[in-house]
Amino acid sequence: MLSLTLSDISVSYPGLATPALEIDRLAIPAGAHVAITGASGSGKSTFVNIVTGLERARQGRIDWSGTDIAKFSESRRDRWRAEDVGLIMQDFHLFPGLSALENVLLPARLSGAASAEIIGRGHDLLKRTGLQRPQQRIETMSRGEMQRVAVARALLRKPGVIIADEPTASLDVESGEAVGSLLLELAGQEESTLIVVSHDTRLTDRLSRKVTFNMGRIVSDTGRMERAA
Amino acid sequence: MIRFILADLRKYWLGSAVVVLIVALAVALGVAVTLQERALRLGSARAADKFDLVIGAAGSENQLVLSSVFLQASPLPLMDGRVLTQLASDPRVAWAAPIGFGDSFMGYPIVGTTTALVNNLADGLAEGKVFAREGEAVIGASVALKLGDQIKPMHGAAEEGGHTHAELAYRVAGRLKPTGTAWDRAVLVPIQAVWHIHGMGHHDEAEVERNHDAHGEAAEAHEHHAADPDATISETWDADVPGLPAILVKPKSIADAYKLRQQYRAGTTLAVFPAEVLTRLYATLGDAKRVLFAVATGSQGLVAASVLLVTVMHVGQRRRQIGALRALGAPRRALFSIVWLELFVLVAMGLAAGFALGYAAALAVSGMVASGSGVSIPVNFARDDIGFAVALLAFAALISSVPAVLAYRQSPASALRG
Repeated sequence: MLSLTLSDISVSYPGLATPALEIDRLAIPAGAHVAITGASGSGKSTFVNIVTGLERARQGRIDWSGTDIAKFSESRRDRWRAEDVGLIMQDFHLFPGLSALENVLLPARLSGAASAEIIGRGHDLLKRTGLQRPQQRIETMSRGEMQRVAVARALLRKPGVIIADEPTASLDVESGEAVGSLLLELAGQEESTLIVVSHDTRLTDRLSRKVTFNMGRIVSDTGRMERAA
Repeated sequence: MIRFILADLRKYWLGSAVVVLIVALAVALGVAVTLQERALRLGSARAADKFDLVIGAAGSENQLVLSSVFLQASPLPLMDGRVLTQLASDPRVAWAAPIGFGDSFMGYPIVGTTTALVNNLADGLAEGKVFAREGEAVIGASVALKLGDQIKPMHGAAEEGGHTHAELAYRVAGRLKPTGTAWDRAVLVPIQAVWHIHGMGHHDEAEVERNHDAHGEAAEAHEHHAADPDATISETWDADVPGLPAILVKPKSIADAYKLRQQYRAGTTLAVFPAEVLTRLYATLGDAKRVLFAVATGSQGLVAASVLLVTVMHVGQRRRQIGALRALGAPRRALFSIVWLELFVLVAMGLAAGFALGYAAALAVSGMVASGSGVSIPVNFARDDIGFAVALLAFAALISSVPAVLAYRQSPASALRG
């Protein structure tokens, strides 16, 4: 389980007058389930890129349980992300030609981390996401099933945090509901911190805390209000 | 990783196949040029090996060698028959054999010569015996005739509108072992018989007249003369030897060879070492080879550039996939390896196919040359070719690393956005 503390973050892109993301302080305790919402262009994607280390923050601290990844080199951030972050993306990013299980194991294999234990866990996770045929080719699956495979892939290496970027945006209501339930259930079972970036209120309403972005800034945070109350 | 690469190649199988194909064709061109040039050089050198010294009438050295070594029919000027008499009694000569051309049978050249050449040309006879009578012939290894078959000589070649000699039909008495030279397609007959058919040599006037009358209708182009197929052949040369196009000479030593060449180079005769003439011809061929090789290299460069273009565009199309793999935690070196291996495997397959294709093409060309001229042209890979293959592989490795570096340097965040 990882906690996140952001401080003095400011991300600007050339050609843009205002920063894409500016956060003075944001704290997410270990094991929390947090929704990040906001209109498109509000800085949600930049937030995901910064906290996962996909993009380098030139200013501020990104403190995951005492480790500031802003200071890491690119390769170091890749390694850290592989071990500690379970990433789920809107477009699944599964690879046709490979089976469900091969897709789940692919990042671990490419990192040279696919031990027998990890492979066993891959089978187990596919079962827990409700998929019966681990050898099924990924391109023959429905979109809902594909996102389940992506969830199993994200959880493979027992990450301290699961970050889901619009996990339901390309699914129908029913599949979206099921994937949302699966995320919450597995994050609870695995005792992972869960950050869901979404504008799907059916999903964000099920999380205990909701942080809303606008124009790159935090405009509301239900967690802070609760503490203030 | 291998499974992933294979799945990827399967997905883009058509593009991959095209890459393999164009690489293969470009490599095949270079390989075929190299192999065929070497084969031609070796094959013709081997064919000339048997003939140390060729003496003919003053004229073109190249034509003398082409006619005598490769049996490429061309009208050679005749030299005085007394040259043979002289050579036959020269102590520096191991053996000297006159050759006379002009007739053919079913496309095989008929060469009039003596038992000296028949005995020394190949490693002996494969079957039968050497000719002993005017009506007997010894055939080369690849002449499609059997012992006892009849050979009716045709003056000139059929495609040139030659006509058949009715005066004498030879009977196949023996077959030589293969020599890998143009002589494998030759029909060897006693030179005396050739002279008799064409009305030269030992004839008194009366005999000539009588024969001429008997065969008057057939003798439109030139005079025809009957010959007795059972007449025994004599190979002791007197002053009456008719004019000869060429004499093959085996000197006793290298020093003798040079002395003989010196002596018969003067005046009305010409003496050449076929090997030397060929070397000069190769020098000309060598320039042609350089041009062909430059063309092949140029086409390989073009192919390399187009493969590079295709793969760089391909990596551009796969930006999102590569970015996603990075986002999911795949290390950059793994992505470098994937992109590099994918391309390298394709190019290496193309190289292997190109070498096979080039070899096959060279073999096909050799087969055509062998069936046309009888000169066997050995197509072989040499040590140099390994260097060539290694150089191409190294170049392929280098080319493959360009898109791999692009994939390596790509920012995952911007790739996913785009």
